[in-house]
Amino acid sequence: MGRDPADEAEREPASSESRERLAALRARLAPPVDGRDRRPVLPLGLAALDAHLPDGGLVLGPPHEIAPAEPADAIAALGFALALCARHLALKPGEALIAAAPGQPLPYGHGLAGLGLDPGRLLLLEAGSDAEVFRALESALHARALTALIGLLRDGMPLKPGRRLQLAAEGPAPPLLLILRPAPAGLPNGAATRWRIAAAPAARDRFGTLERPRWRARLERCRNGRGGDWLLEWDHAAHRLHLPEPLAGDAAAAGRSRA
Amino acid sequence: MTRLRRAGLAPERGPLAVAAEGSGGLRLVALDPEARALGLNPGEPLGRVRARIGVPLQVHPADPAADRESLLRLCRWASAYAPLVAPFGPAEATDGLYIDVAGASHLRGGEANLVADLAARLARATIPARIALADTPGAAFALARHGEADRIVVPPGGAAEALQDLPVESLRLDPDMAAGLRRLGLRRVGELDALPRGPLARRFGETLLLRLDQALARRPEPLAPLSEAAAYAAARGFLDPIGRQSDIVRTARDLMAVIAPRLERDGLGACALRLVLHRVDGAVRALDLGLSRPERCPERVAALVSLRLDRLGPALDAGFGFETVALAVTVTGILLARQTDLGAAPAGDGVGVVADALAQRLGRALLRLEPRASHLPEQADRIRVWVAGERQGSSVDKGLDSMRAHLPPPFAGEGGPRSGSGEGGDAAEQGRVDQEERALSGSRAPLLRDCIPARPPLTRGPPSPAEEGGRTPARASPIPSPIPSPIPSPWPDHLPPRPLVLFPRGEAALDVLSTIPEGPPRRFRWRAQVHRVTHAEGPERIAAEWWRAPGEPRDYYRVECEAGHRLWLYRDGPHASDRPAAWYVHGLFA
Repeated sequence: MGRDPADEAEREPASSESRERLAALRARLAPPVDGRDRRPVLPLGLAALDAHLPDGGLVLGPPHEIAPAEPADAIAALGFALALCARHLALKPGEALIAAAPGQPLPYGHGLAGLGLDPGRLLLLEAGSDAEVFRALESALHARALTALIGLLRDGMPLKPGRRLQLAAEGPAPPLLLILRPAPAGLPNGAATRWRIAAAPAARDRFGTLERPRWRARLERCRNGRGGDWLLEWDHAAHRLHLPEPLAGDAAAAGRSRA
Repeated sequence: MTRLRRAGLAPERGPLAVAAEGSGGLRLVALDPEARALGLNPGEPLGRVRARIGVPLQVHPADPAADRESLLRLCRWASAYAPLVAPFGPAEATDGLYIDVAGASHLRGGEANLVADLAARLARATIPARIALADTPGAAFALARHGEADRIVVPPGGAAEALQDLPVESLRLDPDMAAGLRRLGLRRVGELDALPRGPLARRFGETLLLRLDQALARRPEPLAPLSEAAAYAAARGFLDPIGRQSDIVRTARDLMAVIAPRLERDGLGACALRLVLHRVDGAVRALDLGLSRPERCPERVAALVSLRLDRLGPALDAGFGFETVALAVTVTGILLARQTDLGAAPAGDGVGVVADALAQRLGRALLRLEPRASHLPEQADRIRVWVAGERQGSSVDKGLDSMRAHLPPPFAGEGGPRSGSGEGGDAAEQGRVDQEERALSGSRAPLLRDCIPARPPLTRGPPSPAEEGGRTPARASPIPSPIPSPIPSPWPDHLPPRPLVLFPRGEAALDVLSTIPEGPPRRFRWRAQVHRVTHAEGPERIAAEWWRAPGEPRDYYRVECEAGHRLWLYRDGPHASDRPAAWYVHGLFA
């Protein structure tokens, strides 16, 4: 009693499918090739930037430090931080918390739309000091309830609170943690990246109006990565950073963007 | 007087008086027995008294706030006898307190024993006191103030008889009215009670009859107790007082574990809790804990207590330890039973946990921004306290509802009324996020691919099934039909660009130079720096809200300076040849 050839023909694709599934399962269960886990990151969506950052984006969890180049650029730095936050919130559900030390400017609700950030997903905390900001961020990190955390500091982040934040961020599903500090240079503090943001003249659209916010971003320090210097534009509709397109007469962009 | 002696501020012996500013200088307000024996009376001017008596008189200034505080302390102490304790109010115009012992006297072996015990304890604490126990607060007050003995217990129904011979002043009347009664020869309560009521009311007003009726139990008199008797409360006494923070936290958890089943049975959760710590020496410390949403989990409450004690630190003076710890639920909210996962942390209310932790640890509330209907930019948003279950767009109609009624997530989209619960907003939020993501992936995907051919694959943690569909632009996944968001965003989307940071008041821009007087500035000085304008957009005219406050219309310009800073300037009012317009910087763009 031989086998039905039709039966045979049916079995063949079935076995190849299971082989595929087995291979997929093996790939999923295999230990990581480079010996360490791929950490969750926020890809900036810009190949020129992501190539400089380890794992192809801002690592979620450890603090990222953002400072203005000059004291007058503080709003540009705040805008950059909120833009990153808006990108993260567009990718993941949840809410963001801004913990601000006294005297730090809080965002204006109607102005957040210009960065593509929904004010309804933003929580604010007016802390009494830098120490309270750190405590609030630490509590939020431990609770794992918020998607993004931003701390606005008056003085800066010393090593000890930086290290504490880093420890609190360890674990699954960490949020994006951004620290904004004033312009004077700080001490090493365990931040994963350190950015310097300056305002730059923006491009005009075809009606002659200011089109998008534009910043000069310098990656001063990056653990396991390279530094860099870019001129960046923020597209609030797509929640993406762009390199400015060189246009005729756009003196700011011409030849000034280098990676 | 007693407060001064107990605090060691006044000597143990010697005539002592307390004086306060009265009409015509300092007047005596309180005297000790020795001073009274010298023939002094409260109300006499201090100068005349000093001239009259030959012995030195110790005089202390009166401190009504401290007196009130010590009276409240005494009230809290007295709440050991019965939960309902009320200090004397302005009607009594003197110091003292009521204890409503109805239903509590048997715990001390009857009313007579209770009064004896109270008197003995007060005497041991060297607090002079006159105690009366009667059917009504009015009768008890009259007997305590004007009765013959220090301790009087009136049997039930005997108030009218006991009050017969007391002076009319004992009825808590103001001095003018009492003097008027005396002028008419009415000195005793009994005489007053025998008179027809109509003429009395016409002559002295309703108050007299009210006081009389209250004393004789013809009209009810509600007391204003220091603390309402909590329906959900538990307490634990300790033979050895406890003083360590971990012990207090553990006790709080145990007490909450006692209360929780009762709350659960009634479908309620605690919105606010009060932890009362009774110290060995009689001092009482009350900690009020507010929660962002109803809660009955003992561990959660214990964590909050721990955070609060962390913040207090040494300010919580344990002294020789606490002998009683009491936990009471002061505000309850509806919390229905919810299905819990095995071993999984309850998700969804994580922000509430953060809010509670911050409130206890830092004493600060989470805030959120809310739009306001106003044309003026500085009034067009405001900061509100974040409340669990309240999302944007829901604050007006269902804010209060959702505060009280936080319902568990409807299981798989079925069951659970949506209005009034936080989850209606939740689902809407989720829906909107999904839509955004679809917009991102659907319409922008070709653009993304064109821009960056070698886009690195998105790396993130273990992808959840919900994330898979919408996010990876390269994959063409079937997109479910979009759910229209039932709650539109309350933020208007038709506004011209608004700055990222707005100053509460415009900051003056000085030395403004314009090419044309009505046009935007070319150069100005602000914050001690000269800014040269390279680009200006505008004007956007925003008129003053005349129905609130008159003002000039403002012309707003968005300008960019040489250095690339983008500012929001306005000119206050139109330009006139005799009155140059004033310019202000109102905000900064990113």
